[in-house]
Amino acid sequence: MHLTLLASQFLIGLSVGMTLFVVAAGLTLIFGVLRVINFAHGSLYMLGAFLAYSVASFLGPAGFWPAMLIAPLVVALVSLGIERGLLRFIYDREHLIQILVTYGLVLVFSDLVQIVWGTGFKSLAPPPGLAGYVTVWGAALPRYNLFLFAVGILVAVGLALFLYRTRMGKICRATATDREMVDVLGVRSSRVFAAVFVLGGWLAGLGGALVAPTVSITPGMDVTIIIEAFLVVVIGGLGNVWGALVSSLILGAGESLGVLFLPRLAVAWPFFIAAVILIIKPSGLLKSVW
Amino acid sequence: MSGKRHFTILAGLVSLALVAALVAGCGRTPAAGTGKVLKVGIIDAYSGPASSYAKDALDGFKLGVNEVAANGGPKIDFVTRDDQFNAAKDLSWAKELVMQEHVDVVAGLMNSAGALAVASYADQQKVPFITWESMSAQITGSHGGKYVFAMPPNTTMIGNADAKEMAGLPYTRYWLAGDDYDYGHSVVNSFWAALQKDKPGVQKLGTSWWPVGETNYTPYLNVIRAAKPDVLFAGTGGADMVSFLKAVQASGLNKQMAVLDHTATDPSTLKALGADAPVGVYGTSDYLSYYPATNANKDFVAAFKKAYGHGPGFPALYGYLTARFLGAAVQKAGGVNKTKLAEALSGMTIDSPVGPVTIRAGDHQLETPMFFGRTAVQAGRTTLVMKNPVEIPAAQIMPSLASVLASRKK
Repeated sequence: MHLTLLASQFLIGLSVGMTLFVVAAGLTLIFGVLRVINFAHGSLYMLGAFLAYSVASFLGPAGFWPAMLIAPLVVALVSLGIERGLLRFIYDREHLIQILVTYGLVLVFSDLVQIVWGTGFKSLAPPPGLAGYVTVWGAALPRYNLFLFAVGILVAVGLALFLYRTRMGKICRATATDREMVDVLGVRSSRVFAAVFVLGGWLAGLGGALVAPTVSITPGMDVTIIIEAFLVVVIGGLGNVWGALVSSLILGAGESLGVLFLPRLAVAWPFFIAAVILIIKPSGLLKSVW
Repeated sequence: MSGKRHFTILAGLVSLALVAALVAGCGRTPAAGTGKVLKVGIIDAYSGPASSYAKDALDGFKLGVNEVAANGGPKIDFVTRDDQFNAAKDLSWAKELVMQEHVDVVAGLMNSAGALAVASYADQQKVPFITWESMSAQITGSHGGKYVFAMPPNTTMIGNADAKEMAGLPYTRYWLAGDDYDYGHSVVNSFWAALQKDKPGVQKLGTSWWPVGETNYTPYLNVIRAAKPDVLFAGTGGADMVSFLKAVQASGLNKQMAVLDHTATDPSTLKALGADAPVGVYGTSDYLSYYPATNANKDFVAAFKKAYGHGPGFPALYGYLTARFLGAAVQKAGGVNKTKLAEALSGMTIDSPVGPVTIRAGDHQLETPMFFGRTAVQAGRTTLVMKNPVEIPAAQIMPSLASVLASRKK
């Protein structure tokens, strides 16, 4: 086995993990602050991909970049509607009700997407500058994967600045740690919840828009991503954004190396990695906020 | 007096009932005069990831139903049930359709696992079952029977067709890969078995299995690229095909080795990819709307386009053929008796857009041709096409009847 193959495989894995992180970061943020298990997160991701497709097709060849900007914003608006219209009424209810409501949204979005966009396969081409590949350590690394890697880092840095440098971020962290205390201190948690849900939705939409040029945009892509995103959230420690970053990278790299060493088990790798980590650290890699 | 009045009322009621029965009967009497409308129960994935195939097949079926009626054939009624591509729902829908809706025929079924369960149930209940999308060779193989019929080329036929064409090309070192479920494994195994027979001395460098719905093929392609095979044979289908071809294109794999995948040249895949599709990828198709350029095919495509505004894919052909076969079977059987229908279908030949096709009497697998070629840019089109398609006649790809019947004994 060549060392270069090992290295390139690791690099590809990290880029896969970074995309996962963008989606999972929103999910874990909502989990941590709102304490809502948002099954519809995958639907928002799917919506982001379909919207990116539509915006890009509408604008023509130069439509890619506007699509990356507009699609997540529209998804953020939809998220605001979901939070104000539905979720805020069930924050105090038990988890089962929350799961039922968000799962109901999954079904609604699944049908809605089929009604609006139909059932045919859809695809969005990467912009000319990001098409093709660069050769790194003898491996053909798609340029677009490198772009995704860079965006993932930007999102991580942006989230760090938000959580540690802004007042809202500090309230978010405080709410995640001790909600009652924040309420007692007179912070209007309702607004914080809305803001966090919108941010989470924007991240899901961004993830969907970003991944659109690498996959087939179909109804059903919501289910695939939500399972992996939940794995990331659980492995990383519930509600912990840095845990999500670390576990996304571990899952991405682990799956990629798994394909190299034990290809026969490729299907089981994510779950295998999750099981091993959870056996060693049942509460997840980093401190759970719950 | 009173007795006579009673009689008059009774006679009036009886004649009223007779008239009502006649009127109702007339409404249900098809032009062919077979006395009853054929009722087909369709189970398919009308929502979920495979819904575009299901819709295409149903459109084809409706076109066939109308055509049969327009040509003076029997009237075919149908009801649809959505299994959401979930095999667990198929058997219960089949039972509901047979026991409560009293359908004469069950059809559809993209999901292979569901199709197998329904095939066994239908054969047991003596209700004809026709799959128009599922490609599992087990349907007419180990789960086959008097009442079980399959329209599309199954995984054995796909493997045979691919092997037949590849054997004639100067490649010897292969990497095999595919979806880690029944379809992928069946296609890959039958391809490899057939290729070793057609071209002794071929070498298998390795295998990769990825999950259905995989979103990033780059890690797999990187490993395959490093092994430097002559050919990557992939058994991937449906919506994943688009993601797979995107990864092939993004990593330039098609420039380093030959890539072959059954539906790579399928118009629904290439249409979605547009100019982003890799050039020079080998593929087989069950059906192409632009080849063969016969009048029968052109008429079918024109009728389909007129009805739905877009061209037919391969599921549309098999939905259409199902309706045509059923129409002919009702006429041949002289009614909708289920056993007589099954007997009429067995061995039946009809003219089709791809030439005459026959339901093989021995196992009820449709003998239908396949098409092989490579993706290429064609001037004046925004999407790639299969360049210079080669037609592989059904006779060259059908599994031997002996092997099919042997699989039923196990």
